[in-house]
Amino acid sequence: MYNILSLVFKYLFILIIYLFMFSIIRLIYLDIKGMGLSTYVKDTYLKLINQKDTLPFKIKEVYSLEEDITIGRSKNNTITIKDPYISKNHLSIVKDEGDYYLEDLGSANGTYVNGDRIMDVVRLKNGDTIRLGQVDFIFVKRN
Amino acid sequence: MFKKLISYRVPRNLLVLIYLMGLMLLFSQNIEEPDMFTLVSGLALVLIIYVSNFILVRVSPGDHYIFLIVTMLISLGIIMIYRINPSLGAKQVVWVSMGIVAFFASYLTVKNISGWDEWIRFYGIASLILFIITLIFGSTIGGARNWIKISRFSFQPAEIIKLLFIFFIASYYNNEDKYNLDKKGGYKILIAVYIFIGFLFLQKDLGTALVFYLIFLVIQYVYEENRRLILYNIILAAVGAISSYFIFDHVKIRVETWLNPWQFIDNKGYQITQSLFAIANGGFFGTGVGLGHPDFIPAVHTDFIFSAICEEMGIFTGIAVMMLFLILVYRGFKIAFSQENKFFKIVAFGISSLFGFQAFIIFGGVMKMIPLTGITLPFISYGGSSMIASFIGLGILQVASEELDIDEVEQDG
Repeated sequence: MYNILSLVFKYLFILIIYLFMFSIIRLIYLDIKGMGLSTYVKDTYLKLINQKDTLPFKIKEVYSLEEDITIGRSKNNTITIKDPYISKNHLSIVKDEGDYYLEDLGSANGTYVNGDRIMDVVRLKNGDTIRLGQVDFIFVKRN
Repeated sequence: MFKKLISYRVPRNLLVLIYLMGLMLLFSQNIEEPDMFTLVSGLALVLIIYVSNFILVRVSPGDHYIFLIVTMLISLGIIMIYRINPSLGAKQVVWVSMGIVAFFASYLTVKNISGWDEWIRFYGIASLILFIITLIFGSTIGGARNWIKISRFSFQPAEIIKLLFIFFIASYYNNEDKYNLDKKGGYKILIAVYIFIGFLFLQKDLGTALVFYLIFLVIQYVYEENRRLILYNIILAAVGAISSYFIFDHVKIRVETWLNPWQFIDNKGYQITQSLFAIANGGFFGTGVGLGHPDFIPAVHTDFIFSAICEEMGIFTGIAVMMLFLILVYRGFKIAFSQENKFFKIVAFGISSLFGFQAFIIFGGVMKMIPLTGITLPFISYGGSSMIASFIGLGILQVASEELDIDEVEQDG
């Protein structure tokens, strides 16, 4: 009885171990894919201008603007940047009829578009620079 | 429900499944006199591992794969050790539980205390004290004088020194501009490392000496600016290795039994030949747990656990174990790459190469690919100090997988 059980189980063990490994490798693959350059193929995005190594916090090179986004220091934003000079809820970028509008959500240190501190909602053009905290982005919109 | 339970999308559940199957198998092995203690402790371990995997995802924003991989290795190890010797298996359950506690403890301490990179003197002196204590009070088990016995308990200080050693090198290379003012710092660290290795040679602990040397070599290769030192290091080690072959008897025996164990099959080559027989006997799918004879190999529950796994669970499981180590080391290197803090970058690199080299040396040893040196297979072999030290190392790796510099910036601002 035990021998039969053991014989069956040895195949099952191998099956499950390989399934387990497959699942780990799959998770790692998804992890790598998520941080990769796949966002480059999108036609509208924010690109970081600063040298990534000069910023002492985690930030990506490229943020896709496929959907409406909010940027801030707290976790409930779509993009979280842990820069101490960025407010908890800093700004939002909203898409409306093919145009992108940037709005400051009452941040303490303000948002600068092409060097000017913005007061109202601003329509973004291709090549605009956006400064918030210590971070500089360039807005890219390809038609 | 059932489909979701064994889906490859939730590796956590597969782990539990392996455990329950193994437990069932071991329980039915002696169905005439069922051992309730085994059942209870086994189920408790399943719970501990499942819950700690669950907690880790909540607590740590870092890497969640390394702990999963390690718990898989542990489950294979425990099933095998229990099958070889039930009382050792029960002890191993206790060691693993303590190891998991040590994992969380080291994770929290390393994370919440800053300034680890500045205590280079402490790491050096603590290791030297531990070495000297071992040399004076040490007792010999299995040919190496590397155990300290305190009443009923015995432990291997070398396992802790491994971690101190990595911290020692890491804090040197992190503060190189401070310690390397006269451009002689590289030589000093080289001498310090050779003192460490010399102590291990005195204890006849060749495997650990080799691990120390390889870790130092890879860290030096990455961070040393004076490239000539690396060449010196390699030449020095080559000369040392060749001369120790002629001077020390126990080195000579290892090499002889590696070149041709068959002519010493009845004495000093017995262990390695039995290991080869066991691996060959297993074949692709193994004999099945409980149906082979891994107990013919001396020290099968510690150094030769890999041969036992190959015999009873097949070479496919053996390959799987190697691949799990491969993924573990790969994750460790990736953690080291993405870590911004230089000290923890070096520590993560050192710890993942520690796991990798240790596994490589013993895999190669039991398969007669390289001369056999007795070290434990991390996370699989039986042994309290090895298990706890490996888990402490894993906890440090877990800390290194997180973004450490953010908090400092926020505190300053």
